[in-house]
Amino acid sequence: MMKKIFVAIVLATLAIGFGSPGARVSAQEQDNMSPAEHKRLFREGAKLWPVYCNTCHNARPGGEKAPYEWDMIMMHMRTLGNFPQEDTQAILEYLKAR
Amino acid sequence: MRCANRAPIGGIMRAGRIFSTFLFAIGVAALPLAGMARAADSDATDTAALKEIRAEMRQLREDRKRDREVIRSLEVKVQQLETKDSRVEVTTQQLQSTDQKLKETTLELQQTNQQVQSLQTKVNAPIATPQFGNAVERYLGSHSFTVTGAAGGQFVYDQQSGALDGLHHASQNSFFFDWEPMILYRPADWILFQGVFSAGFGATGTGTDLSTADFQIFLNKYMTVVGGLYDQPFGDWYEAQSPMWVNRFVTAPLPFGVEPVVPPGELGLQLRGGLQFGKLGQDLDYTVWGGNGPNFSSHVLGAAMSSPTSIASAESNGKSIGARFRIYPLPVDSEMGRLELGASTYNGKWLNGNWFNSWGVDFNYFIGNLQARGEWLESYRQMPMGQSTDHRQGWYVQAGYFLTGLKIPGIPEVINNYLRRFEPLVRYSGVNQRGVSTADIQGATGVGLGGTQVGLVPDFGINGSPATYAPHSREVALALDYWIAPSIVWQNEFDIELPRAGGLFVSPTGVETPAGSIPNDHAFLSQFTIGF
Ligand code: HEC
Repeated sequence: MMKKIFVAIVLATLAIGFGSPGARVSAQEQDNMSPAEHKRLFREGAKLWPVYCNTCHNARPGGEKAPYEWDMIMMHMRTLGNFPQEDTQAILEYLKAR
Repeated sequence: MRCANRAPIGGIMRAGRIFSTFLFAIGVAALPLAGMARAADSDATDTAALKEIRAEMRQLREDRKRDREVIRSLEVKVQQLETKDSRVEVTTQQLQSTDQKLKETTLELQQTNQQVQSLQTKVNAPIATPQFGNAVERYLGSHSFTVTGAAGGQFVYDQQSGALDGLHHASQNSFFFDWEPMILYRPADWILFQGVFSAGFGATGTGTDLSTADFQIFLNKYMTVVGGLYDQPFGDWYEAQSPMWVNRFVTAPLPFGVEPVVPPGELGLQLRGGLQFGKLGQDLDYTVWGGNGPNFSSHVLGAAMSSPTSIASAESNGKSIGARFRIYPLPVDSEMGRLELGASTYNGKWLNGNWFNSWGVDFNYFIGNLQARGEWLESYRQMPMGQSTDHRQGWYVQAGYFLTGLKIPGIPEVINNYLRRFEPLVRYSGVNQRGVSTADIQGATGVGLGGTQVGLVPDFGINGSPATYAPHSREVALALDYWIAPSIVWQNEFDIELPRAGGLFVSPTGVETPAGSIPNDHAFLSQFTIGF
């Protein structure tokens, strides 16, 4: 019984998930942004970084990793911290700029 | 414009013609009149009249001629004007096209200007790592791979003041080394693979194991699916605090260390996500998961939880269901720091119809240089054959303060600079459980079975003190961390074990003996660790 419920939940989730518009930490998405939007995200990221990234461990500065690494790490951290997607993008913008 | 110009000219032309025709008609009409007059008057007057008429007619003809000339000159003028007009038209057209060309040239100029500007900024910018990274990114596309993780070296001194239930143990010191590389692989911008492999070397031998290995699929803004072998998302500790450079202490708090109250890991699937409910930073998040369920090393009271991958201990259990919710009520702009409040539950059948249920609450708060966190958790394990429930409780509270702002007067600045890198910490943790299985006490082999007694030995992140295995263990940990970089730290920890009397020791065959009072212990641990 538990198994069936579990499988049903998983299937329903995947269906809902894939059916709704995707929103990811995506490099392509950022490329379509205007310079003003980049600037706004950077400012928000600068505000969020010391708060979000100090929650579990000392905030690691942008210069520690290459931008392509931050793409991966921020996916990992978004999962661990369950950050809202927009905030993740803002922090990514901030980290990649340093 | 063209119509307005022509109208007056046409008007003049028509007026001229009407005028000359009118004069001619008068002349013609005057001829019979003149004849009638001649007949009535004398011949002399007739000749004179005729002369007059002739003169008039000549005059009229001359007038007509003049009129014609005027008309012709006017027509010429009109023609000239018309050609001029068309020429003006052509000029206007030419002007317009020139204007267009001018506009186009200006635009091109602007574009060129922009290109020059961007080229200039590119030329001016130094070739920094991000640019190198961007180049790498372009090369690799969204398909990328990196290795991070942690490494640490440790020294443990454990001073024993008493043996535990006949287990041989003596004060000892040991060195350890642990290496935990983590691989991140990102095949596309919606999926990430993560795996941590750990290799430990120490007095207890060399061991390797797969700590975590999972994939993360970002379905949409609010949903991420995680599948594989992962740290238990119960509370904060296993998932968010256990890596050695993340944990501010060398050891784990008791309920997440040698006496776990909930299983440390799970093999299954998670659905998780977060959203902003108010201002920036005011977030809510959820994690729900299901997996293989809890396993225990044996059926006796107090048996330890075993790894989700240890097939040997797999029972005929059902699946598990867990959930955790966290709220972050403070907006970032309030500058009141970050507060996290969480609640978790994890439940499943561990053996046939016997349930394992657990719940917990946690908090985490930091502002400036101060950070505090704590958790409370409880679990109930239904026992087979009418035994009473295996009930466990655990908690910890800890606080640390970075001396970043420190400035002791009268001390050279160089020394102050060193002092500012220190973070003193204190933690109080404890576990209450009805009984402890002696077979599970770390390093014990065959207690009560007459086998060899290896006794208690420290291990990586475990101080080895017998007191930590007491049914009612309590520990005060004092630490002094020296931060070289955000993820490079030298940690020193002093543990004071203050176990309470009570509870039971349970042999592998289920024989229960009262634990009685357990002696206090001290241990010292020093660890150098790097998160890379
Ligand atoms: C929910 C807790 C949590 C939050 C919030 C968090 N981290 Fe982490 N972070 C971790 C843990 C746990 C690890 C270690 C991962 C492991 O070893 O499995 C880690 C590891 C890392 C690493 C090492 C590489 C890696 O992927 O493991 C970097 C870099 C990092 N975090 C940066 C950040 C940044 C930047 C932020 C802010 C956006 C952040 N973290 C926020 C928990 C967190």
